Amino acid sequence: MAEARADATPGGDAHATLLAQAAVAIVLIVAWESAGRAFGHAWTSLPSLIAVRLGEWAASGLARHAAVTLFEITGGLALGASSGIVLGLVLGRTVTLSVVLRPFIVGLYSVPIVTLAPLLILWFGLDMMPKIVLVALSTFFLLFFNTFAGVQAIDRDLVEALRIMGASPREEFARVILPGAVAWIVSGLKIAVPYAFAAAVTGELLAARDGIGSLLAAAAAQFDMTGLYAALVVLMALGTLASALATRAERWLLRWRPAAQ
Amino acid sequence: MRMLDVRPRSIAPAAAAASNRVRLDAVSKSFTVRGTHTPALQETTLAIEDGAFVSLVGPSGCGKSTVLNLVAGLLTPSSGVLTYDGAPLSGLNRRVGYMTQKDTLLPWRTTEANIAAPLELACRAVPRREVAERVRAMIDAVGLRGFEKHFPAELSGGMRKRVALARTLIYEPETLLMDEPFGALDAQLKLLMHDQLQRLTQARRMTVLFVTHDLAEAIALSDRVLVMSARPGRIRRAQDIGLPRPRDVFRVRFSPEFGRLHEALWEELKDEVAKGTDV
Repeated sequence: MAEARADATPGGDAHATLLAQAAVAIVLIVAWESAGRAFGHAWTSLPSLIAVRLGEWAASGLARHAAVTLFEITGGLALGASSGIVLGLVLGRTVTLSVVLRPFIVGLYSVPIVTLAPLLILWFGLDMMPKIVLVALSTFFLLFFNTFAGVQAIDRDLVEALRIMGASPREEFARVILPGAVAWIVSGLKIAVPYAFAAAVTGELLAARDGIGSLLAAAAAQFDMTGLYAALVVLMALGTLASALATRAERWLLRWRPAAQ
Repeated sequence: MRMLDVRPRSIAPAAAAASNRVRLDAVSKSFTVRGTHTPALQETTLAIEDGAFVSLVGPSGCGKSTVLNLVAGLLTPSSGVLTYDGAPLSGLNRRVGYMTQKDTLLPWRTTEANIAAPLELACRAVPRREVAERVRAMIDAVGLRGFEKHFPAELSGGMRKRVALARTLIYEPETLLMDEPFGALDAQLKLLMHDQLQRLTQARRMTVLFVTHDLAEAIALSDRVLVMSARPGRIRRAQDIGLPRPRDVFRVRFSPEFGRLHEALWEELKDEVAKGTDV
C-alpha cells in the first residue's frame, strides 16, 4: 500500500538529486582546499588536514566521545520529551489547570536555557548528568508547547462522534486525542533534535572530560584550527544523521496524511 | 442517569413498545453569535414513534440539522422539552448513531479501521474475529471493496461518505440520525444505498430521522415526511407516506401514489425553497 502513495520521490529523480548534491560538496571542498593552499591556512585549516585528523581521532577514542555526546542527547531527550508530552497532554485536557500554570511555564521558558549550564555543572558535576539535564530542559518546553497545541487543535467533532458511539473518556483519549496529537508531537521532536545537540555540546564546552564538545573546547584552547573544524565536522555528521532518522520516523508515523508540503 | 449509561447496547431491536422514541415539545433553538441573536428553529412539536422512518426536507439553513443536533444532545433547546424514550435528554445521547453532514472519520485510520471503530469500544466488546467479519460484510455492502487499506485523505468525497455510513450502520444503533447521507453519491449508487438502508432499518426496527434535500429520496424511504419552512424553521406540513412496505426502492417512484405525494409535497416545498435561496 505504501508504494501507491506519492510521498517518495521517483527513483531516477532522487538519484539525480544525490549526484548534484555530491557535486556541490566536492566543489566546496576543492575550493576550500585550493584557497587554503594558495593563501595560507592558519585560520581556516584544510579539508585534507581535517580528514587526517579525523582518521587519527577515529583510531584513538572518537567513538567514545561521540557515544558520550549521543548518550547525553538521547537520555536528555527521553527525559525532557516524555515529561513535556505527558504534561502537554494533561494540561491540554484540563483547561483550568493550564490557565493557572501557564504564566509559570512561560516564565521558565523565557529563561535562556543555556545560561543554566553553570548552575547545573555546580549541582551535578563534570560528568554527563548536567548535560542530560540541560538537554532535558531545553527539549521539555518544545514538546510541552507542541503537545499542548496539538491537543487544543483536535477537531471537537471527532471527539463528539466517538462519544456518541459510546466511547469512555479513556477510549476517547486513546483513540482520538493521542493519535490526533501525534502529528504535533512528532514535529516537536523534529525541532527538538537540533536543540538537544546544541544543549549537550554547550554543556560539554563549558566543562567536560568527554564528548565532542570537550574535543572542541580542547582544540580552541590550543588554537588548533584543524581540531576545531574536525570536531565541527563530526557534529555536523551526527546532526544530519539524527535529522534523517527523525524524518524517517515522521514519515512512517504520519503516513495517513496527504503527501503535500 | 440512563442517558449516561454505557452498558452494552442491545444489538437486537429494542423493546417493541409503540411509544414515542423521540419527542419535541415546543422546542426552539436560537444562537447568539457576537451579540447577534439568530433564531434557527421556531417552536416545534413533533413525535417520532419507535421504529418509524421520518424525513425532514426543506430549504438550506432551515434548521434541519439543528433538529438532529438537538436529538443527538450536541445542542440543548433554548426553550421547550426534548424527550428520548420518555425521559428528558441531558448531555450527549449515546443511544443514537449520528451520521453528520461533515464526515468525522478519523484521518489516521484506514477505511476498515474507521468502520471497525464503534465495534472496538468496550461498551460493545465485539470479539476481534467477529469485528473483521462484520467490517468485511459492511465494506461490501457500501461498495468499498479494494479501498480497505486507504486512509480518508486518499478517498473521494463520495467514498468518505460511504465509510461514514458504514461506520454508523455497523453497530446498529436503535436510532439513526442522518444528515444528507447520500448527497455526494451518484444516482445509481444512491438507489443501492437506499435499498441497503431500508433492509437494515426494517430488519432491526431502527428509528430513523433523516435529513435530505431530495424530496423523492424522502418519499421513497420514509413513513412520514416533514416539510420545513425557510429560516427560522418550523414544520409546515407533516405527510404520512402510505406506500406499502417492503418497498422496491428502484420502482417505487413510478407508482401513481408516489407521483401524487411528490406533487403535493413539492407544492409545499417550492415556496420555501424560493424564500430560502436569498439567505
